[in-house]
Amino acid sequence: MEGLLRSEEMTLCQMFLQSEAAYTCVSELGELGLVQFRDLNPDVNAFQRKFVNEIRRCEEMERKLRFLEKEVKKDGIPMLDTGDNPDAPAPREMVDLESTYEKLENEMKEVNANAEALKKNFLELTELKHILRKTQTFFEERHTDVPCSEHVQYNQLPYHGTEMLMHAEHHHPQAMHDPSMSDETMGLLGEELPRSGQPLRLGFVAGVILRERIPAFERMLWRACRGNVFLRQAEIESPLEDPVTGDQVYKSVFIIFFQGDQLKTRVKKICEGFRATLYPCPETQAERREMAIGVMTRIEDLNTVLAQTQDHRHRVLVAAAKNVKVWFIKVRKIKAIYHTLNMFNLDVTQKCLIAECWCPVADLDRIQQALRRGTERSGSSVPSILNRMSSKQIPPTYNRSSKFTQGFQNIVDAYGVANYREVNPAIFTTISFPFLFAVMFADMGHGMIMFFAALYIVLKEKQFGARRIEDEIFKTFFEGRYIILLMGAFSIYTGFMYNDIFSKSLNIFGSQWFAPAEPFSLATLSEFKKLQFNPNETYTGSPYPIGLDPVWQMAQNKIAFTNSMKMKLSVILGISHMFFGIALSLLNHRYFQKPLNIICDFIPSLVFLFCMFGFLVLRIFHKWVAYDSSMSQKAPSLLIGAINMFLFNYRDEHPDNPEVYHIPGSLQGFQCFLVVVAGLCVPWMMFFKPFYMRHQARFGQLAAERLRRARRQLEQPNVFENNRRFIRGAEEEEFKHQPLSVQSGDLLNHDHDFDNDQEVVHNNDTSGHLHQEEEQEEPFDFGEVFVHQAIHTIEFCLGCISHTASYLRLWALSLAHAQLSEVLWSMVLRIGFSSSGVGGAFMLVIVFMFWACLTVAVLVLMEGLSAFLHALRLHWVEFQSKFYSGTGYKFQPFCFDQILDHSADD
Amino acid sequence: MFPELSFNIDHGYLEGLVRGFKSGILRQSDYLNLVQCETLEDLKLHLQSTDYGNFLANEPSPLSVSVIDDKLREKLVIEFQHLRNHCLEPLATFLDYMTYGYMIDNIILLITGTLHQRPISELISKCHPLGSFEQMEAIHIASTPAELYNAVLVDTPLAPYFIDCILEQDLDEMNIEIIRNTLYKAYLEDFFNFCKGMGGGTAEVMCEALAFEADRRAFIITINSFGTELSKEDREKLYPRCGKLYPDGLEMLSQCEDYDQVRTVADYYAEYKELFDDAGTNPGDKTLEDKFFEHEVKLMKNSFMHQFQFGVFYAYVKLKEQEIRNIIWIAECVAQRHRAKIDSYIPVF
Repeated sequence: MEGLLRSEEMTLCQMFLQSEAAYTCVSELGELGLVQFRDLNPDVNAFQRKFVNEIRRCEEMERKLRFLEKEVKKDGIPMLDTGDNPDAPAPREMVDLESTYEKLENEMKEVNANAEALKKNFLELTELKHILRKTQTFFEERHTDVPCSEHVQYNQLPYHGTEMLMHAEHHHPQAMHDPSMSDETMGLLGEELPRSGQPLRLGFVAGVILRERIPAFERMLWRACRGNVFLRQAEIESPLEDPVTGDQVYKSVFIIFFQGDQLKTRVKKICEGFRATLYPCPETQAERREMAIGVMTRIEDLNTVLAQTQDHRHRVLVAAAKNVKVWFIKVRKIKAIYHTLNMFNLDVTQKCLIAECWCPVADLDRIQQALRRGTERSGSSVPSILNRMSSKQIPPTYNRSSKFTQGFQNIVDAYGVANYREVNPAIFTTISFPFLFAVMFADMGHGMIMFFAALYIVLKEKQFGARRIEDEIFKTFFEGRYIILLMGAFSIYTGFMYNDIFSKSLNIFGSQWFAPAEPFSLATLSEFKKLQFNPNETYTGSPYPIGLDPVWQMAQNKIAFTNSMKMKLSVILGISHMFFGIALSLLNHRYFQKPLNIICDFIPSLVFLFCMFGFLVLRIFHKWVAYDSSMSQKAPSLLIGAINMFLFNYRDEHPDNPEVYHIPGSLQGFQCFLVVVAGLCVPWMMFFKPFYMRHQARFGQLAAERLRRARRQLEQPNVFENNRRFIRGAEEEEFKHQPLSVQSGDLLNHDHDFDNDQEVVHNNDTSGHLHQEEEQEEPFDFGEVFVHQAIHTIEFCLGCISHTASYLRLWALSLAHAQLSEVLWSMVLRIGFSSSGVGGAFMLVIVFMFWACLTVAVLVLMEGLSAFLHALRLHWVEFQSKFYSGTGYKFQPFCFDQILDHSADD
Repeated sequence: MFPELSFNIDHGYLEGLVRGFKSGILRQSDYLNLVQCETLEDLKLHLQSTDYGNFLANEPSPLSVSVIDDKLREKLVIEFQHLRNHCLEPLATFLDYMTYGYMIDNIILLITGTLHQRPISELISKCHPLGSFEQMEAIHIASTPAELYNAVLVDTPLAPYFIDCILEQDLDEMNIEIIRNTLYKAYLEDFFNFCKGMGGGTAEVMCEALAFEADRRAFIITINSFGTELSKEDREKLYPRCGKLYPDGLEMLSQCEDYDQVRTVADYYAEYKELFDDAGTNPGDKTLEDKFFEHEVKLMKNSFMHQFQFGVFYAYVKLKEQEIRNIIWIAECVAQRHRAKIDSYIPVF
């Protein structure tokens, strides 16, 4: 019981680890995952710590592994996740690992470099192939034009081409006899126009460019060469592979005709600027064909070489892929260990590392065993020592949870992590949360959908868990599967109580209402659409055995009836929930031994809540029990009664009318008494505690306490002297540690003695900084305490009213849910029922599908989400505000599993 | 009527984002740790614990300063591109304006490079990626400013700024400097007017920042022109006319003949007087340039005090640039084992 109600008892421990055994010990502790180490060198830079070189080596290894992983993924080789979890390798194995990775990386890089070179070659050849093919068509167009006259040919050129040629003809005839033609600037038209007698020699370059750059390229050419060039381009249909990035890119072949050397250099510069690759292109068709054949054979050769390279690469990667995951785990474990070692202190002799950690008292034995295993593995002869220390620091909160309670614990923690050893509401939440949810979501049908969906996930949780689905929405559902399961089950129950299944009712036990033959003859039944039932005549007198009588399903005033019932129900549930919360605060006060809080907080708040609303609950029950249908006119109105109670208004409006409720005189007095008591609770809560504390601070126990402390401080020098002696001893002989370090096994048994005997078991290095952290007793500040208490009081008193009203959401959401499902039934599914025949059957199928989808999407998912949020709010605000402070911090043990999970996500 | 009312509809997300980015800027304590680094590996390790995270994780050691520089810049560029890709008008134009400055620098870098016969690929890698544009790599075909304009720049947003420098002269060092400053002048004035037209908080913050930028350029141009063949009239044409110095201060600056005269001009302006007073050339003193940077950092930090305005985007990029300069300075000092001056970075926060 205690284990579930409160967080684990924690203790601060000091560990003395031999330098050579430290690594293995920490590794064992990491596997265990029960120890949270404190950083003892918070002021030291990351790069000035002791094991920074090892961490760097780990990072280097990680980088290589990432590189390998990237390559493996690029090739689409599945990485084997065997799920084995190797121990962290010994430090000396690091060298082996490093060399393995190094070798693999180098091999990979070499293969990649080769492949890249080959691919580049291949790309060039392919581009050349395309150029030859495309330019062929350009030239062929020319050839067909040859028989035509020169001018016709010019006219067919696009505008700038024409201008260029004309320009060339008139102004630069000398350029046409340019002797210095390089191999790619061949005379193009010279041979083809021999009879014109004008040796018009145009140069050309051919190349390949990225398709998206074409427009800018063309514009730039036009501008830079003033229109004196002629560009033809054709798209390469199939994408080419970029050898560096491996992306598929689309390119275009272009050919530029120009004239003269100056233009040539300019065109080349532009090509270079736009990263176009130029290729030599022979001028005659025969040469081109010959070249094309050469290119084709070379491409084929290259293809075989490329295939072999890929094969080799694949083999290397497949071998690596088998191990990559395991390697990652190993390296990450090593890195985590060194990170932890960096948090440790080195003792004066440099022979052992000193660590401080929080650990649960109940697990000290296991930790001790882990340390022993670690020491044995390292082969060290000197045992590692675990000491408990006393500390004024607040320990972390560690709630053990199973897979069942984890979801509920998360709900509580999302609001705030409990203070150390505070009552943990998670255990109560496991029931109250699904229940309050179900009150709002009351429908057997929807509850069943929810229940079975959750049941499926729960039954298959091993498979789902192993699959590690990354989808966030699924993850949310998966984490909350037990919550959903319980919510579904409770909804079935509340749905049964409200007698609601897809907005219809079940008549299991037979309705307790009947229509006597006397007034309801067949004639009257067929004549009137609506009939009124008088409960005095048509009700058997004993209620429907369980839940709501199904007859209400047909009643016109169903909503009025259920509203009244649900409203009262939610007030009763809400008030009980809040009473329970206040009761839990008693557990807290008793545990933390604060009797003052019991008298000044717990009792007045209990009395206040009872006087205000507890009484209302009693009246609800009274009204339910004491008045039956025959005297319903005389039943008191709860709302008016409550208002009048606070206004002290007991004037009788209808003194003579016996049919109306009259408050009896004795009750009047009692009600007045309650209101006065509730009113008195406010100053009680507000003033008593701060003034009492001030009184104490001046004269009472606190002063005495201070006196005692002062006396203890007088004794303190002994301890310090003791300590100093110990330090000196440590410098001389190591075994002098022994008298001060006590085996934890002994500590477990009489830790109270320990606390008194050895106030300080600090090592020299740590003591100074620990003392700083230990807070000084704060001087009593009356103003602060008073303001705090006043705020608390006002918050509580106003809260009682608003929170009670807030619980009415139980009714409101339940009403909304019931109405929505009824609307869906009557507006959608009924259409399917209304038509008959074969068409009607098809119609029904379609309408049913529509209805079913809407039911799941709107009623189960959306309404479920909204009811979930409201239940969440009722727990966080209305319930937990009564006792839960939630300002603790979570216990975060050094645990390999978590570290690996976390880094796998990155 | 109140642009602030509807600011968040279009730009609220990005403003929030950039304010979040801002909180990742290194603080004084980070710099204190950085200057203690012994090697670049140490530097990397410390930067890992800051907002830079694992930006160097995939770089094989040994690290070099240029790799760090590239990566730092890459991070800024990614952030800026993210902002640019998600923004709406008029923020889009505003962000574009910010890149024009880098474009001008790139153009000048490329022209100077080609003048010295450097291969274009080497130059391209030195260009700031924020200022890259499609035609940039073909810039070396131009040999005169007119050609440069007609062939390359006419399609870029810089074209209107270039109108003033079309001269049928060859590109030499002097002319390039004149082109750079004329471009910058036109750019600053245009940006200034754009921000002024925006009104509201943007105008308030950006006009202040751009006015300072303009005045800084005016001072620097004047000081650098001493001892060169630049005539006073030419010099006056290069001063951006949107700062606080305009018009009287610029008039006086154009007549200056040595550093002390510049100083007298600065004395008329309280904020600049302070900068000139503290600056010195003696060892241990801060240079005028550093003082200007410090003042800029102060202005930029202040611009985060205003909400619902675009100044934060400008300020963030400027602050980040200062941070990159700082880290590179420290990295260079560490790499060259020249620790004496390692402390002369300019802390941002």
